[in-house]
Amino acid sequence: MDKKKEGKEKAGRFQSWLDGETDIYAGVMETRPQKEYEPSPYFLRQQEKDRRRIAERVNNVEHNKEYRFFKRVYRVLAVVFALSFIVLLVMAVSWLPPVGQAANPDNNEVSARYIENGLQETGSVNIVTGMILTYRAFDTFGETNVLFIATCCVMVMLLVDEALLKKQGADNDRKYEPKNDAILQGMAFVLCPVIFIFGIYVILGGHLGPGGGFSGGAVMGAGLILYVSAFGFQKTQRFFNETVYKTAKITSLVMYGLVGSYFYITGANGLENHIPLGLPGHILSGGIILPINICVGIEVACTMYAFYALFRRGGL
Amino acid sequence: MAEWIRFIAGSLFLLIGMMIFCVQLFGVFRYKYVLNRMHAAAMGDTLGISFSLVGLMIFAGFQFVTLKFALVILFLWCASPVSSHLIARLEVTTNEKLEEYCEIREDMERENSAEAKKEEEI
Repeated sequence: MDKKKEGKEKAGRFQSWLDGETDIYAGVMETRPQKEYEPSPYFLRQQEKDRRRIAERVNNVEHNKEYRFFKRVYRVLAVVFALSFIVLLVMAVSWLPPVGQAANPDNNEVSARYIENGLQETGSVNIVTGMILTYRAFDTFGETNVLFIATCCVMVMLLVDEALLKKQGADNDRKYEPKNDAILQGMAFVLCPVIFIFGIYVILGGHLGPGGGFSGGAVMGAGLILYVSAFGFQKTQRFFNETVYKTAKITSLVMYGLVGSYFYITGANGLENHIPLGLPGHILSGGIILPINICVGIEVACTMYAFYALFRRGGL
Repeated sequence: MAEWIRFIAGSLFLLIGMMIFCVQLFGVFRYKYVLNRMHAAAMGDTLGISFSLVGLMIFAGFQFVTLKFALVILFLWCASPVSSHLIARLEVTTNEKLEEYCEIREDMERENSAEAKKEEEI
């Protein structure tokens, strides 16, 4: 009876130690607080001596033979390396075929087909846009995904908790950054709408001339960054916060995926494509190019702004 | 004849622009202090690029592209001075030994310190 009780008690104590409730060593073992480390005066003197000796040797550049030798060899090697690199590059360029010859390897049946049938098959006056957004739409989809994944990774690393952000507030190294600058605000008030309109023009005119989603999105992202640096994050969050960012980004990516996969499936299986090509040269033409350009533009603008905001503030 | 006049005028403007760019590059690497370098750099961003673009406008003749060039000049003349102003203001607010490099008017100094105090209060 007695033994059983003892065993139970031991088991109970073991259980409570496992759970971290009691420390079985407390009160049983002799415990003493650790003494603070005090170096002896001899050691301190020796340390100071060593430090001075090393500093003298390191800073004595003029009488250091090894350093001077290294410096001379470094200079000679740098010149030799740069010269050999220049020679290599010039030789590589000199072996390139001259521009515009019919026998050049880039004049093959692929580019000939793009140039001959591109306008009829894609409905885009700008052949380059027609190429990257219809013939190579799958590749461009991958690029857009790369942008998405890149922002996701930056968010994982740099996104700071909202409460922590508020607590830090003006307490970081950006305390002395010029805030609410009247000249910048006046200029941004004039320039931001112009930049946004230009970005939209570049995105919508991608199939009619130079432009497209990537360049137009970059322009719009730059406009957003200008607005933030002029008016601050609080004013920007009224129309572009994390919810808007997530919605816009994911919606545009999914839209691109849907439009693109419809295009791949119908094209790969020889099915009829129901997206009208329109009249070449009109703004509503080019089949899937215009919607895809808009999606890519939103994606790129969000990415640019998110990078800026995450690196500067740790939040959107 | 008209073609020749246009060619000469356009290339003259382009050459002046290139020269200003050279002066800018020289200044950026010659000077050691931020505000001097900024002055040199801003000169190329406004004057040099506008001369070059006027030269290109003369080459392009009177068409839609010319208008775009003019808009680029307008944009750069808006953007470049503002960025220079911001760099200068950052230098003034962050450099503690500013009086070693340039003279400061007394009323300006007071204004700056008042501004800094206000920002600290916020």
